[in-house]
Amino acid sequence: MAEVKSMFREVLPKQGQLSVEDVTTMVLCKPKLLPLKSLTLEKLEKMHEAAQDTIHQQEVAEKERHITH
Amino acid sequence: MGSEMEPLFLAWSYFRRRKFQLCADLCTQMLEKSPYDQGPDPELPVSQAVWILKARALTEMVYVDEIDVDLEGIAEMILDENAIAQVPRPGTSLKLPGSNQTGGPSQAVRPVTQAGRPITGFLRPSTQSGRPGTMEQAIRTPRTAYTARPITSSSGRFVRLGTASMLTSPDGPFINLSRLNLTKYSQKPKLAKALFEYIFHHENDVKTALDLAALSTEHSQYKDWWWKVQIGKCYHRLGMYREAEKQFKSALKQQEMVDTFLYLAKVYISLDQPVSALNLFKQGLDKFPGEVTLLCGIARIHEEMNNSSSAAEYYKEVLKQDSTHVEAIACIGSNHFYSDQPEIALRFYRRLLQMGVYNCQLFNNLGLCCFYAQQYDMTLTSFERALSLAVNEEEAADVWYNLGHVAVGIGDTNLAHQCFRLALVNNNNHTEAYNNLAVLEMRKGHIEQARALLQTASSLAPHMYEPHFNFATVSDKIGDLQRSYEAAQKSEAAFPDHVDTQHLIKQLRQHFAML
Repeated sequence: MAEVKSMFREVLPKQGQLSVEDVTTMVLCKPKLLPLKSLTLEKLEKMHEAAQDTIHQQEVAEKERHITH
Repeated sequence: MGSEMEPLFLAWSYFRRRKFQLCADLCTQMLEKSPYDQGPDPELPVSQAVWILKARALTEMVYVDEIDVDLEGIAEMILDENAIAQVPRPGTSLKLPGSNQTGGPSQAVRPVTQAGRPITGFLRPSTQSGRPGTMEQAIRTPRTAYTARPITSSSGRFVRLGTASMLTSPDGPFINLSRLNLTKYSQKPKLAKALFEYIFHHENDVKTALDLAALSTEHSQYKDWWWKVQIGKCYHRLGMYREAEKQFKSALKQQEMVDTFLYLAKVYISLDQPVSALNLFKQGLDKFPGEVTLLCGIARIHEEMNNSSSAAEYYKEVLKQDSTHVEAIACIGSNHFYSDQPEIALRFYRRLLQMGVYNCQLFNNLGLCCFYAQQYDMTLTSFERALSLAVNEEEAADVWYNLGHVAVGIGDTNLAHQCFRLALVNNNNHTEAYNNLAVLEMRKGHIEQARALLQTASSLAPHMYEPHFNFATVSDKIGDLQRSYEAAQKSEAAFPDHVDTQHLIKQLRQHFAML
């Protein structure tokens, strides 16, 4: 260890000024943990989807009936 | 075998096994066989039983726990006149969550919703809201939830569900409410309770339900707490909070039930009195020590008041009582993640995985925790799983967005670029992806593209400080000081404690003073 120390001596400037330029960097938005859904919410969404499906099917059926008549 | 079974017994069995559609169909057949006029025949107890069973099956199909339901529409929220103080003192209102008093993670680390609250680890129907301050904010979808809220509760999802169920039954509704003789039914308490739940949950006709409940409570000589709770529920749906409060309090005097405490607390939250709700929960805890739903209610209020450290305390209490409480685990997990302890967060999310939660969100969170806890072997497989489990494009967009972060973390800017692009392909309104893409474009030196992306981002989500700040920095670099100053001020409004923004504004002011 002592040999290594003698090979690389640290340099500490005793004179002069040390200047650090503070560059403003752009910020990234942070990683987003996704919130888990509660059972109620899942059920509501499922019911909602099912309802929309039935309405949609009904509308399609209605349209077809119009076309055939 | 099945055809030889006694049909009512079979129907009961279907009901117990939660095969409600089969149960209801069977009941319909049985009711057709024994002719009935609107209500069940008093002489035929079997048809009466079938009738109740069918009503209960239909109710169960669409039953949502009333405590969890959040019905506030945009109109209710904007035209809300129930709050006592228009300018409440800090810490006494849910509308002004107040700045972070407790030293939780700042906005620079933890993303916030448009109401200025840190995003939560768990999504309930009522967390979607936040309380927006202006109409413009109310119409915009919040950052974490994609279902826009209905304009008013009366045009809300319940009406739409009702229309759908009407379309599916060709012979008209099971019970014709307008022809119902409510007084007759209120005399028969057992029938009335099933009928009430049917009217309230299935038909969503709150007014008729309220009439029935009022008649029934009269019939029981105001001695049945159950009816009082139901009247309170109706009042709450109708927006008559003070009346609801009276009913719940009276019910509590007769019989102390956890449910009633929860309903009453919900009334206080609707009235924007979180402190009363907290006191009430504590009263409830005296009667029912260690009750999980009450503890969880306290934690939710603390979380909504932006007091995440005491929320975490209460969530830990919850876990002491019930170690499989998904909400508590998820909230504590996300808290740890955003307070720079991804390893601990990882343990909480792994616990959820062990418990059998298996969805896109969980795997996405696992992937992120693994990456930031330096467990690189699991990271990409988790994200792959999350992508394959994503049920809609918004979820996929969020996963791609987070994958973009992983790519930024390992220094692969090309991959990051592609990931953020994919996030935008899946969800064209993904503000964070726009912002991060702009940062990457800026590194490549494409100033104009970066500016365009940032402008899109800041118009999509004015509540986020990042796009404003970045736009200010870019404009400052190319010498457009006026725009830079405007954007910096918006950034300061969104995040007052951001040091770099303050620095930039100070610099710009000096520039202007020199001119």
